[in-house]
Amino acid sequence: MALRRSKSRSSKALPPIVFRWDLDKTYLESEFESLRQMVRIPFEKPEDKVAVPGVVPLIRNLREVATSAGREVRVYFISASPPQIAKAIKEKLTLDGIVYDGIVFKNQLHHLVRGRFRNLREHVGYKLTELLKSRRDMPPESRELLFGDDWESDPLIYSLYADLLAGRLAAEDLDSILKPIGVDARLLAVAKDLVDGLAAAEVVRKIFINVERRTPPTRFRSFGPRLVPTFNYFQTAACLYDDGYLTLPAVAEVAAGLVEATAATPHRFANALDDITRRGHLRPASATVLREYLREHRLLPRQSKAARPSLWQRLQSWFASTPEPTPPRDEAIDYQALIAQWRGAHTEQRA
Amino acid sequence: MPTIAVDAMGGDFAPEEIVKAVAQVSLETEIQCLLVGDEPQVESILEGQSYNPELISIHHTREAIGMADDPKTAVRAKRLASILVATRLVADGQADALVTAGNTGAAVLACAQHFKAIRGVRKAALASVYPRQTEYPGQDQLALLLDVGATIRCDATELVQFALMGSAYARRISKVPSPRVALLNMGTEETKGGDVLVHAYRRLKTVSGINFVGNIEGNDLAKGKADVIICEGFLGNVALKMLEGLAEVVVDLAGTAARENWRWKLGLMMLATGFGKLRDLTDYAAYGGAPILGFEHLLIKSHGRSNARAVRNAVKVAAKAVRDGVAAEIATAIGEL
Repeated sequence: MALRRSKSRSSKALPPIVFRWDLDKTYLESEFESLRQMVRIPFEKPEDKVAVPGVVPLIRNLREVATSAGREVRVYFISASPPQIAKAIKEKLTLDGIVYDGIVFKNQLHHLVRGRFRNLREHVGYKLTELLKSRRDMPPESRELLFGDDWESDPLIYSLYADLLAGRLAAEDLDSILKPIGVDARLLAVAKDLVDGLAAAEVVRKIFINVERRTPPTRFRSFGPRLVPTFNYFQTAACLYDDGYLTLPAVAEVAAGLVEATAATPHRFANALDDITRRGHLRPASATVLREYLREHRLLPRQSKAARPSLWQRLQSWFASTPEPTPPRDEAIDYQALIAQWRGAHTEQRA
Repeated sequence: MPTIAVDAMGGDFAPEEIVKAVAQVSLETEIQCLLVGDEPQVESILEGQSYNPELISIHHTREAIGMADDPKTAVRAKRLASILVATRLVADGQADALVTAGNTGAAVLACAQHFKAIRGVRKAALASVYPRQTEYPGQDQLALLLDVGATIRCDATELVQFALMGSAYARRISKVPSPRVALLNMGTEETKGGDVLVHAYRRLKTVSGINFVGNIEGNDLAKGKADVIICEGFLGNVALKMLEGLAEVVVDLAGTAARENWRWKLGLMMLATGFGKLRDLTDYAAYGGAPILGFEHLLIKSHGRSNARAVRNAVKVAAKAVRDGVAAEIATAIGEL
C-alpha cells in the first residue's frame, strides 16, 4: 500500500527531503548522567559506541524509500558534543552504514577560551543558529523531518526552527523567547540575521522526539500536533509509514532491529502500536494495515483462538463502542507559556 | 513474564491511583499489565505519567461496579463491568492473574462465575494478610488469615482444604518452607469449638504436608504462633475487622491523649520514629493485597483504599504468584488429600 503511494508520488517530482538528527540520546545511547560517564565519552572507540535500538535501520530505510521514489534525500546530524570526538562519531556512522551529508559539533573549546561559560551548557542558541545556517544551503522547496530527544531542549529548538521557517514567528519575536532562557546575545543576533534572509515556507513536516527519559507525553501537548513523542523507533517508524515516508517492509525492518538489540517481543510491539494510536499520532486505519502486515511477519502476536473475539464479545465491544482517539489540537504555540512550563519541568527532572 | 489484568475502575481512588500504579510497575519490572476500564479516562491519566508503553495495554469497558453497590445485583446488572470483563480476560487466557481494589463481593462472585475451581476444591477462600509479632528468625512479618468472607459456614473438609491452600500460598509467596498452620478457635484444646472444629483438628493432625500447630485463640492472632490461620468466613471476617478496628482505636486514643495533655503530646513526639516504623509495618500498601484461593486463576484483592503503592505491590505479588506456580502448588496439595 505504502509502496504504491511512494510510486504515485514520484511521478509528481516530490520535493527534496531533509532528515535532521540530534546525536546524543537520539542516535547514540550516550551515557552522561554522571561526571564519570561524561569523562569517558571522548575516550570511547567507535565500536564501543552504541546506537539507539532501531535507529540505524530507520535512517537507512528513510533514505532508501525516498530515493526509490526518485526523491532527493539529505541526512544531517547536529550535536552539542565537542569536535574532539568527531572522528570517533564519524567512524561509528560509517560502521553502521549510515550515509550522511553533514554533521556539526559544538566548539566548546572556543567558548571556554573566551570565558563564555554559560554557552557551554546552553544549547538552544547554538542549535537554532546551526539549523538556520544549514537551511540557507537547502533547496527552498525541500521539506524537513526533525529527530531529537527529551534530554535537552530539542522540542523547543525544533519547534522554534519550524515556526521561524513557516513565518509564524518573526526574527524580532526571538528576543522575548530566547533572552529569558539565557541565550547569548551574539547568537541571538546571528539567529535574527539568518531568519531575515529566509523565505517563509511550511518546511518542517514533523518533529519526532525520542522519549528516552520517559517524560509524560502530556508535557509535549503544548508543542502542538506537529511534535510526536515516541517511546521507541518502532513507534516512530509506524508514524512515518502513516505519513508515507516508510513502507511496510521498512517498518518491519526497524522492528527486527529492535528485536536484535533489545528484549522486544511481539506483545511489546502490539502494545507500542496501540499506545501511539491511542495518543492520536497514528491513524487507526494505518494501524490496522500495520498490524496485519506485522502479524504475517510474526512481529506481532498471532491472534490466538482464545484472543479472537467470540460473537458475544464482539457484541459486547459493539455496545461498549471503543472511542476514536482524541484528534490532536491544532493551535499556535504560545512560546512564553511553553518556556515557563517546559523549563520548570526540565529543572524538576534534573533535580 | 506474566500478564496481569488490573481492574482500573475498582477502588476508592480509581482510576487515578490504579493507572499510576501500573505506570510505575512498567518502569520497575518486566510485568505486562492489561488495564481494564474506561479507555479515555485511563489514557488521559496514563499520558500524564512516566511509563513504558511496551508493557501496558488497555481493554476498554465503560461500566464499573461501585464500592457501595450490592455485589449480587451489580454483577447481574452490569455485565460489562470492569471486574467482570477482567475476570473473563483472565479465564480466556489473555492474562495470567487479576488485581482489583474494587468491591470485594463482586470480585468473589466474578471469580466464581468465570474461573474454574481447582479440581477437588469445594469452596474458594478469600485470604487476608496482616502484620503480627514474629517468634523465630526468618518468619514472615505477615500472617495469612483465611477465609475472611468468601464463605459463611464450612465443614471440616473445607477447613482442611483452606489449610492446604493457605500453606501452599505461604510456601510460594512468603518463602516459608514449612508454614505453621493453626485453627482459630475458642480454646487451644482439641475438644473445643463444636463438632466441625474438633473434626477439622483431628484431620489436620494427620494430613501430610501441613505443619499443624493446633488451635489458637483470638488473643494469639497478633502473635507469631502461626503463619496461616484457618477459620470459616463469618469468623474470619469478624476477626479481621476487629484487628483493623483496634488499630484505628489505638491511633485515635493517642491523638485524643495528645490533644488533652501536653506531656502526652511530647511523649508521642519522642516516639515518632518508633511510630513511623510501626506504621510502615502495618501499612497495607506495603503488602498490596491478598488472594482469593481455590481457582485455577489467581485474583489478588487490594484494600478498597489502596493508593498507587499498594496496587503496585499487589501487581508484583500477583506476578510472583503466577511465576511461582501457586495455583499448581494448591492443585497438587488438594490432589494429594
